[in-house]
Amino acid sequence: MKKSWHISRRRMLKGLGACVALPVLDAMIPAGLSAKTFWEWERVKRIAFMFMPNGVHPDKWTPEGQGTDFHLSPILQPLTPFKNDLLVLGELMNQNSWRTKDGHYTKTANFLTSMRLTNTAGANVNAGGVSVDQIIANQIGDQTLFPSLQYGVDRVRSGVDLAVNLTRLYGSAISWKSPTQPIAKEINPRMAFDRLFRPFVPGKPPIKENPHKKSVLDLVMQDAKSLQKGMGVGDQNKLAEYLDAVRSVERRLDNQDSLKDFEAQITPDVKKELVRLDQRIDEYVDQTAGIDITERVRLMFDIMALAFWSDATRVTTFMFGNSVSSRNFSFLDGVSGSHHGVSHHKNDPRLMSQYEIITRWHIEQYGYFLSRLASIKEGDHSLLDNSMVMFGSGLRDGNRHSPHNLPIVVAGKGGGTLATGQHLTFAEDTPLANLYLTMLHGMDVSTERFADSERVLHEIVC
Amino acid sequence: MSTRALLLFILTLMWAFPSLADPNEEKEREQKHFSSTVRPILHGQCGDCHNAVDSKAGVNLVRFDFIVHIVQNGKLFMKVIDEIESGHMPPNTRPPLSDSEKDTLLIYLKKYLDDALAEPDPGLIPPRRLSNREYRYSVYDLLGVELNTDSLLPADASGGSGFDNQASTAYMSPLRLERYFELAEMAVEEVYADPQKWRSLVPAYVPTGWTRFLVWWEQVWNQKDISFEGPQQIARESISSFATLAYRKFLETEEQEQLMELFATIYKAETDSADRLDRSIKEVFKSILISPKFLYRQERDLPIEKSYPLTNFELATRLSYLIWSSIPDWELLQVAYLQDLHNPKILEAQTLRMLDDPRSARMAENFATQWLEIDKLKRPDFRMDPDKFPDYNGVLRDLMYEEVVAYFDYVFRESQNLLELLNSDYTFLNQQLADHYGLVGNFSEKIERTCLDSPDRGGLIGMGAVLTATSLPERTSPVLRGKWVLEQILGTPPPPPPPDVPELETAQGSHDDLGLRKLLELHRADPACAGCHKDMDAIGLGLENFDALGKWRNTYQNQVSIDPHGRLKSGEEFAGPGMLKEVLEEKKALFAQNFSERMLSYSVGRSVGFYDSPTTHKLRQVLLETDFHSVSFLLALVNSFPFRHKKTEPEYI
Repeated sequence: MKKSWHISRRRMLKGLGACVALPVLDAMIPAGLSAKTFWEWERVKRIAFMFMPNGVHPDKWTPEGQGTDFHLSPILQPLTPFKNDLLVLGELMNQNSWRTKDGHYTKTANFLTSMRLTNTAGANVNAGGVSVDQIIANQIGDQTLFPSLQYGVDRVRSGVDLAVNLTRLYGSAISWKSPTQPIAKEINPRMAFDRLFRPFVPGKPPIKENPHKKSVLDLVMQDAKSLQKGMGVGDQNKLAEYLDAVRSVERRLDNQDSLKDFEAQITPDVKKELVRLDQRIDEYVDQTAGIDITERVRLMFDIMALAFWSDATRVTTFMFGNSVSSRNFSFLDGVSGSHHGVSHHKNDPRLMSQYEIITRWHIEQYGYFLSRLASIKEGDHSLLDNSMVMFGSGLRDGNRHSPHNLPIVVAGKGGGTLATGQHLTFAEDTPLANLYLTMLHGMDVSTERFADSERVLHEIVC
Repeated sequence: MSTRALLLFILTLMWAFPSLADPNEEKEREQKHFSSTVRPILHGQCGDCHNAVDSKAGVNLVRFDFIVHIVQNGKLFMKVIDEIESGHMPPNTRPPLSDSEKDTLLIYLKKYLDDALAEPDPGLIPPRRLSNREYRYSVYDLLGVELNTDSLLPADASGGSGFDNQASTAYMSPLRLERYFELAEMAVEEVYADPQKWRSLVPAYVPTGWTRFLVWWEQVWNQKDISFEGPQQIARESISSFATLAYRKFLETEEQEQLMELFATIYKAETDSADRLDRSIKEVFKSILISPKFLYRQERDLPIEKSYPLTNFELATRLSYLIWSSIPDWELLQVAYLQDLHNPKILEAQTLRMLDDPRSARMAENFATQWLEIDKLKRPDFRMDPDKFPDYNGVLRDLMYEEVVAYFDYVFRESQNLLELLNSDYTFLNQQLADHYGLVGNFSEKIERTCLDSPDRGGLIGMGAVLTATSLPERTSPVLRGKWVLEQILGTPPPPPPPDVPELETAQGSHDDLGLRKLLELHRADPACAGCHKDMDAIGLGLENFDALGKWRNTYQNQVSIDPHGRLKSGEEFAGPGMLKEVLEEKKALFAQNFSERMLSYSVGRSVGFYDSPTTHKLRQVLLETDFHSVSFLLALVNSFPFRHKKTEPEYI
């Protein structure tokens, strides 16, 4: 029975246009449920994780007051419109991130795995575990066209950072499909957009799907399997990555249902947004040669919001930069240096004020994403109500690479799971994994533990 | 020999070499001896300062409880042996080791390491996905199409020694595979759109009158359709040639049949199109370009513990990706099939032939730019502060980049003296770059070899690309430059700074140029920093005459003159880049060792480990004994054990 609702909801959305909440036809609702409870029942939850490099100005982050009665700090000011949708969480710490080595990298690769990484400058890269977003994607990913999507704005950095003798790869990835396999992130707005939406933009030459793709896939699959025969274990694992990738392409090709579902979600309203966004991306490339970082981040966020709205995926991650990012923020008034440089402020007030401005810029962009989600209606709720959007950094004060009291915010009620509108300070060094465990439960992934988690943060659960 | 005599002989052998009797027992005994005799010294005397809490110089010796761990950390223990032998350790401030303690440590540590090296080890190399550059060049050599992989593929990560061709960090993901589909589509369609190019890969099928007659005859009289046979013949030839090059080996019958099956499936589905033959072949080409047999360099695994030589095709592939960053050509494949590429004469002939080919310039582009870390200039996020350096733009950047590539290529292939990487009296430039460097005179439009009057510029450390890549967006950084020279040139990276030390270099705005030398001196007054910063800062300050874009300057903008004097811990003194380069030349043994390690790592696609030290030592000796002759070095490299062998990962994980 539940299955048939599912379909009718899609059809309905198609007919409705997701922005306008028209009355739901009685015939579509099982007897005994009002329209309102129907939406409650069918609330689809989304989750996003955002990573900011280089920490925050430690004195300008924490809000004043506790519980529901609190005042946003200077850095968090841009989130004022969403104060009731926020959870500002203090004293969380990722314990496995700092006992191996100092610096940034050990606090990036395991930002979402909460496990200890292999201390290596070489090839045996290992983030200790599967990241929380991927655990969710493994559970619910088959309900959407893409199990999860990874976004960012910086290319993977290569080489070894000899200052700490760790591979820079650790600073470039937060999503780990397996402990040894980070997931490549999409950094180009044009390509990110086209991958999801190009067929739906009127006037664009459609991508012609190759009619022989299936036969081709069969052949390369056969090739991979024949290569795997007689291989050592490690070698097989390497090729398993390839097989996984082929299967995921194949799944999308095979699964006409989910493609149709997806098409059904591209309502006229979504389409209007798509056209607008498509133009903005073109303008962005033409006019600013792709340099303006604010616009770049916002374009990525628009794509993410549309990916949520159209149900292309329910799980995304985003990196504002690779760790130790030296992005030059002198385009901001009052800033003259690079992000990492400024983060080592040595308590110099001039640098600290620049640090604050840079962090605030990140929060502004985060706020932009929240506002996009809030503007999209799903029944009586907004898309933001149905989402959990975490924002954080792997360290607090960049000057000291401090791993304690991490700057962590979560926005959105997660489909009615989270009791937002609170500033909470937990006991010192409460595992960050507790939050992940809570979010896993919020996404209906039943598990008793995640990494070093100790308990569910019941304080933030409705 | 009588039976008794034989028995006696065997018994004598067993007595003389107990390990022959039972290697495990021998190992156990050795481990026990280590635990009772060697470890107490290591943990006691050395462990006083080198433990988990207080790990002086970042070294913790208390964590080694087993001989296997010592071997795994062989490089560290070579250093330990070195330090004890030279008397640097224990330091004067600590109680010395007794003679017998010292002997015990040295004898046994050396023995463990020697034993470990007794059997040559080629290291483990998983299947290597082509790096983005290798993919681009391979497609170019197959189809003559230039793909923009930089913007279309996710960037390569790189592990180990910082090369993007390192096997274990060459990942695959759905996103990347989708891009391969698109790129294959683009590349093949582009060739297809150009009849001349396409016909060089796929001959036209023009059935003769006689053939047409035969088809008709068979149809009418034998009810047999043979119209497929002619096209099939064309397809078989074109597809086989293409796949042979792409898969870098002659095809097995079964592989060929699979491809032909795919062809037949598509051919039969494409009944409506007039050019169904070409269209079908085209689709098979695309599938070849996304097959793991093309995208991965896979070397067969044998189910044995010992290492074994590569097949000829595998060796040919390693050779061509080393020298050309791309697939082997027909000649190399034929030699690999007909002759033994492991034969040093044949390997040499092929290596020299390939080095003569213009494609070998890619080694400079691919290896040198990554080794020297100047590839970062081409990253979209690399910026120089436009207010401070209005001269910096894409054109200048490309010229500086090209200078290094052309120079490396020239040194490797023409002058063949690798020491010129450190110092020479020429460089590669054109008018614009010469103007940038402040050279007077008329220069050509195109970058070309130019002799220099000043001793300061020739050699890598006088090149704009290197000097820019080691600067900050706002100004020069003596520390970064010094570190770069120690790391990339001499292979002696300073240990990481202790935790909680603020990074002077990134704390901009807190000092101006006037204070730079002073501030660094202050910094070095702290004994925690002095040990390592002494050389780093000295070298970097010696290069201060080059501004952040490599322009020559005698004073800072505020007219304070630049003092390029410096002195290394080892005693050498210098003033300015010219003399600094001479000092580096004196340290050529370090450079030789470093260059050998980098090149070995690049050629086998993995990090260099302790087990490689016999190989890198040999390569270093070749350099030192041949006056840094590049070709002799390359031949020694391709003949080396790890380049020509592999082993299978034991079945434990």
